[in-house]
Amino acid sequence: MKRAPLPARMLWNAFFWTFERATWQYDVMVIAILAFVWLTPPDWIKDPMAHGSGPIGWLADHLKGK
Amino acid sequence: MTFTGFIGNICMFPLRAIIRLSVALRIHPNTLTFIGVLINSWAAYKLARGHFISAGFIMIVANIFDFIDGKVALETGEVSKFGGFWDSVIDRFSDIALFIGLIYLYSSLGRTDYVMVASFAMMFALMTSYTRARAESLIAKCKVGFMERPERIVLFMIGAFTNRMAAVLWVILVLAIFSVADRVILTYRILRDEERAATT
Repeated sequence: MKRAPLPARMLWNAFFWTFERATWQYDVMVIAILAFVWLTPPDWIKDPMAHGSGPIGWLADHLKGK
Repeated sequence: MTFTGFIGNICMFPLRAIIRLSVALRIHPNTLTFIGVLINSWAAYKLARGHFISAGFIMIVANIFDFIDGKVALETGEVSKFGGFWDSVIDRFSDIALFIGLIYLYSSLGRTDYVMVASFAMMFALMTSYTRARAESLIAKCKVGFMERPERIVLFMIGAFTNRMAAVLWVILVLAIFSVADRVILTYRILRDEERAATT
């Protein structure tokens, strides 16, 4: 995998996770997870307990001028 | 310092005080472990009722017990092989209890889709632990994969406090599948290399 291009290596390292906690790679993964959890509109994933379009939906509506 | 390291250090302040108190009261670490699973069962009940915020607070208390049992064992010199085994077994019960709470909730809402998501997330969460335990009976160490128990617990709390449990279940499911795959791949590679080295 060391000879593969950078994006492929990044994807492989994210999949084949060998990093310790409290490393910058761990921080990046945590930020990505939190972004998914908090920004994904509950309606997109048909959340049984939460409703609405969330920040992304609000932004999309705002950009559409609704 | 990384921001996750910084948050970890902040959380350690109250935990150190609780550890000192437990040591002073001479509470046996195995008892702390058992109290943890009882409180987690209460959190599971709250999840099943859809009371996410109270479930989140109860999970914090339960996981304080989960976290400090090993530290108390170290400080009191009561580290034992059985303690490690007991901790692992009780942790699985705690994991399953929380997932069952969510499965009950989604089932009562008639949401079979999320019953399945929660069930598969539970399956792969358990397999993450099992693959490591089984692998480490064959190889020295199998500590790969992101989605371990502390990550799952923190995600459960985030999902409960911010009412984003569905998104959390998806994250746990996908990353637990990756973690199981990582452990299978690593074990396969190490065992293959050992066999090759033995035959040459």
